[in-house]
Amino acid sequence: MSSCGNPNVEGDSLMPKRPKYDRSKACVKCKLNTGNIVIRHAVYCKECFFPLISIRFRRTLESHVNPTPQLHRRKGLKASGNLLVGFSGGLGSSVLLDLIYKTYLTPNERQEGDQNPNGGCPWPNVFVASVDISGALNAAPTSSNINFQQVVESYSSNFKCISLKLEDAFDLIWWKEIGGYESQTRGFDIVNEEILLRALSDDSSSPAEYLRTYISSLPTSTAVANGIQNLIRMLLLYTAASKRCSHLLLGTSLTSLSISLISSISQGGGYSVKEEAYEEWSYRKNQETINQSVRVIRPLRDLGTKECAFWAWWCRLKIVRKHRYLGGRQDIAALTRDFIVGLEKDYPSTVSAIARTCSKLTTKEDSDAKCLMCGRPVQAGIQDWKHKISIRSYSDVNTDDELPQHVRRPPEAPQSQDIRAFDAITSRLCYACHTTWTSKGIRGGTTKGTDIPAPVWVNAHPTNGELWTRKRLGVEEMHAAIADSLLDP
Amino acid sequence: MSLDVLSLKIEFGGGLELLFSNQRSHNVTIPSKVRRDDSTSLLPLEDGIETKPADITYLIHHLRDHLLKERSELFIENKTVRPGILVLVNDTDWELEGEGDYALRNGDEIVFISTLHGG
Repeated sequence: MSSCGNPNVEGDSLMPKRPKYDRSKACVKCKLNTGNIVIRHAVYCKECFFPLISIRFRRTLESHVNPTPQLHRRKGLKASGNLLVGFSGGLGSSVLLDLIYKTYLTPNERQEGDQNPNGGCPWPNVFVASVDISGALNAAPTSSNINFQQVVESYSSNFKCISLKLEDAFDLIWWKEIGGYESQTRGFDIVNEEILLRALSDDSSSPAEYLRTYISSLPTSTAVANGIQNLIRMLLLYTAASKRCSHLLLGTSLTSLSISLISSISQGGGYSVKEEAYEEWSYRKNQETINQSVRVIRPLRDLGTKECAFWAWWCRLKIVRKHRYLGGRQDIAALTRDFIVGLEKDYPSTVSAIARTCSKLTTKEDSDAKCLMCGRPVQAGIQDWKHKISIRSYSDVNTDDELPQHVRRPPEAPQSQDIRAFDAITSRLCYACHTTWTSKGIRGGTTKGTDIPAPVWVNAHPTNGELWTRKRLGVEEMHAAIADSLLDP
Repeated sequence: MSLDVLSLKIEFGGGLELLFSNQRSHNVTIPSKVRRDDSTSLLPLEDGIETKPADITYLIHHLRDHLLKERSELFIENKTVRPGILVLVNDTDWELEGEGDYALRNGDEIVFISTLHGG
């Protein structure tokens, strides 16, 4: 019963609770069987549930498999590279792996209306990658990391396991193995407004120590959760690139997607809202002239966690990751999850509406610039806008000590400094990453780090010297720079 | 003939078993008539106490009081299961069976699946 008044005073104030399904208990598809599950007010029986999920999975994925959609209709499915599946061992990725196996690697179970008439797997190789985040939590590897390989191998020998560690993001050996650009160990100076990237004072630490310094330097629990997510995402993307993968599939369900959309927007990631659902990440390998790309697809984005959980239960899937990473109960992602999961219980269609509404959003103008940290688009002029809405003058304050860190005077670069030793990267960070590092913590302080290790991909600079650098020019250098434009006296 | 007690098979999935001695399957016996306020005291019902047939809402309270080992806030909220926990009654979504108001029958199989643990 739900309340519409004070039941202690008014006897009729309780009204019957409305059922969560629209018409009858009969399956809306076959109209014969009694239903077993309610999906956003529609009732389905168990027999109709499996093809329904399979079709929704294929419909979301298969339009993105071929390099161009036209090829799809003529020749069936044929990807231009391999496949990488991101596997956390949680509900979504376990269901994703099961669906990939049943749809593409067991031809006997293929359904009617299959859009891949040639059959077989569209990808020559299927890699399954798992990222061990225990290094960030300062803990021993969990049993789920050990079980991961067993679960993947229990499916098929066609799945090739790749085990990654979060600290690989700071490991030059790993970076070299996957064929990344030449890199070096450098760190951020967040105190400086320009966010300087320069040599670390101690470059002899292990990748695990670098990771712990990086995590502990993030100013808020929200930033920690976001920072770890970004590292995982980038590790998967660079691994996909190293394995010549054309597709990276993630087990993000409709519910998780709605959570990540709201969470990302509230952390300043509104400009890349499109990339939260679908992303085409381009890269160029060493000694190559053509850009390659990895399509990041979330084939479960039309399926809520309820459908995923029923699929996992009815198929008796083993969920090896039983603990969710606890970035804190009060960080934005955790609060958003609580809100969306609570909303889904009573208003399941509203959660679906979040993802569908966000899929219609687009930016006013495209951007070619990519963020050094997360690889997502950087909105043009975003720092200028940020300057306009910020307090920039503290004329009544005399000493730097009393100023917030983001408005203190940056240290001046030495005249003779090497161009690579002192790169200002603020303008090459997206709004969300910049905000992650410069936001105030719960006690009002920003991060005080001046020696924070940067992930290897931030340090890897293309050989054409693309990194923008600011340095103070002497009078003679300025004169030489404009010499051609000067009129002779 | 109505039974005094109901024998039920309870299963936990999706990580929820961690709260219940890390055991997925349990056999539970509950009274067929219970206090209307869902109190799970094992004392016999006295005259004048309002009763009702045992339903899932009562079962949730019973599991919390007699089977749960830790952190009840991860299982129960506002007299029902916490949002994100799915319930199946004899392999059917409990939303089709009246949710917490479903009157339990002897031999019923009730499954609780958490979608909050993994991810």
